[in-house]
Amino acid sequence: MPIPLLICDDSAMARKQVKRSLPEHWDVDITFAKNGVEGMEAIRGGKAEMVFLDLTMPELDGYGVLKQVKEEDHKAIIIVISADIQPEARERVMGLGALDFIKKPVDKIKLAEVLKKYGLL
Amino acid sequence: MTENTSFSEDQRDCLQEIVNVAMGQAGDSLARFLEVFINLSVPRIKLVAAAALTDTLAEMVGTSNQVSAVRQGFHSAEDGRGMRGEAIVVFSDTSFKELAELLAYEEEIDDPAEKELLLDITNILNGACLSGIAEQIETELAFSAPSVLGHRVDLKDLIPAKNVAWNQALLVEINYTLEKRSFKCSLLLLMPGEAIEVVKKALDDLLDDFD
Repeated sequence: MPIPLLICDDSAMARKQVKRSLPEHWDVDITFAKNGVEGMEAIRGGKAEMVFLDLTMPELDGYGVLKQVKEEDHKAIIIVISADIQPEARERVMGLGALDFIKKPVDKIKLAEVLKKYGLL
Repeated sequence: MTENTSFSEDQRDCLQEIVNVAMGQAGDSLARFLEVFINLSVPRIKLVAAAALTDTLAEMVGTSNQVSAVRQGFHSAEDGRGMRGEAIVVFSDTSFKELAELLAYEEEIDDPAEKELLLDITNILNGACLSGIAEQIETELAFSAPSVLGHRVDLKDLIPAKNVAWNQALLVEINYTLEKRSFKCSLLLLMPGEAIEVVKKALDDLLDDFD
């Protein structure tokens, strides 16, 4: 069974960049969302066992998504991929339940390292 | 002129993401300098013709405000023919006051101190933003020393139209919100048409990689 995977970012290029950085032969079923509102719809619809989440987005940002996921008690594993490299941004998202934080621009090596660290590969 | 040099939607999205990553680095540098946490927002980018620049800036900064600005030249380090132009950071007086207060200048700061602060902030923003862009489109930039272009002047006097050596400006609007304070500045990258073409070509190459 492929893993339902959500890539949530307002930039088309960033979404492609994440997709291209996924490990080869990883059995995933990808859904794309371009803001937090669309992302929450996908999560509620069961399309996101794993989420790669941007922080700065229109409509609902990544912090908002993390809060709602917590409030609604979804089991999604969320990895934040963001350009906001302030140490406090990382602390904040981890406090809101994110599994880890990857700094943009993402690449295959960084992504694989994080997935391996948590035994997700 | 504006039409044939404008960005395609893909180019605009690509450049916005590149600027977003670069501004994340700039935000982190600024946060360390100010010792605060900064809420970042999505930077807005726009390509405007030289003649329309003052009007566009007025919409962003507000006409009632006096502004201060710092300019800094940049050019491709390799052959001098690639990306080149002038970066100008424009601060409204109100935004600048917020910054000065945050840095605990409790009394009115004098002119030299204010100019020094302007140069410091500009160095942080320009350095991180331009180097970030250059890095992502795989080029290397050299910078000239920054200088104050205008200090507490009316916006219309900032960029005299007859002096411009470029015809297009890439306008990057940056909004940083600090805890309880709001700080907004505009970063202008003024480039001649052929340098904008270089940027567009680099964006296309990057986009081709993703298809």
